[in-house]
Amino acid sequence: MLEEFLSKNAIYIVMIIVLIVWAGVFGFLLVLNNRIKNIEKEIKGDTGK
Amino acid sequence: MIWKIVLFLLIAFVSIAGITFPIVAKPEHWYEFPLIMGLGENAKIIFFHVPTAWLTVIAFFMSTVYSIKYLRKKDLVDDIKAHTSAQLGMVFCILATITGAVWAKFAWGSYWSWDPRQTSIFALLLIYGALFALRSAVEVEEKRAALSAVYSIIAFITVPFFIFIMPRIMRGLHPGSADDTNAGTVVNFQMNGNMLLIFFLSLIGFTILYYWMWYVGYKSMLYKEKLNKQYH
Repeated sequence: MLEEFLSKNAIYIVMIIVLIVWAGVFGFLLVLNNRIKNIEKEIKGDTGK
Repeated sequence: MIWKIVLFLLIAFVSIAGITFPIVAKPEHWYEFPLIMGLGENAKIIFFHVPTAWLTVIAFFMSTVYSIKYLRKKDLVDDIKAHTSAQLGMVFCILATITGAVWAKFAWGSYWSWDPRQTSIFALLLIYGALFALRSAVEVEEKRAALSAVYSIIAFITVPFFIFIMPRIMRGLHPGSADDTNAGTVVNFQMNGNMLLIFFLSLIGFTILYYWMWYVGYKSMLYKEKLNKQYH
């Protein structure tokens, strides 16, 4: 049954995998972006003292 | 934050549309793509392969712009910006090569056949690979920045030739080659309005993604350098 589902809907499985990869890349970039913002704040705080 | 949500939705939509919209001989609905002679179902690769090749050019161009800026102002931040862009250019160049090879397996029957387009991208990978070898070989920051800036400018001169000129004036298997009688070049593809729209949305989405990756990349490298200097 699963085999039949996979063979008939292969393109949708490809799409789901691509979307998961994209969500992963996007989330990773978001986390990096926030970390950089925090470091930026810390550095500015240090120089302001 | 809004532009990040827009970017997420844009690339998600392009992925869904690019993968699942059917290719039919005579499109009657807005979600149907036309059948392009010589490409068939494989035409769907253009939503992912062409943007990676496009970003290769954009990234190497940006690297050259910041290299020129570095040589004029001698500001190491410009060197970091140029280096980050070159790194991204390399990543997208590798992605374009891999997606192209996978497409070639289904369209031509083998992953690699030294088609002019494949040969030119291979040459480009070697040229820019040498830039990173050069950077890792020089330890003095200013010297490394100056040498890689000059190399980056010279390397970029070859980019239009390898990407736009050589594969079009030579006979080959890739769409848009000199003897191509089927699909033609990407801009001349027999795409209908919707396919063209998704193609351009894909280009826009990937270009914004590049800009974000470049911003995050150069900022992280910049702060890493700053903190290294502060604590050593």
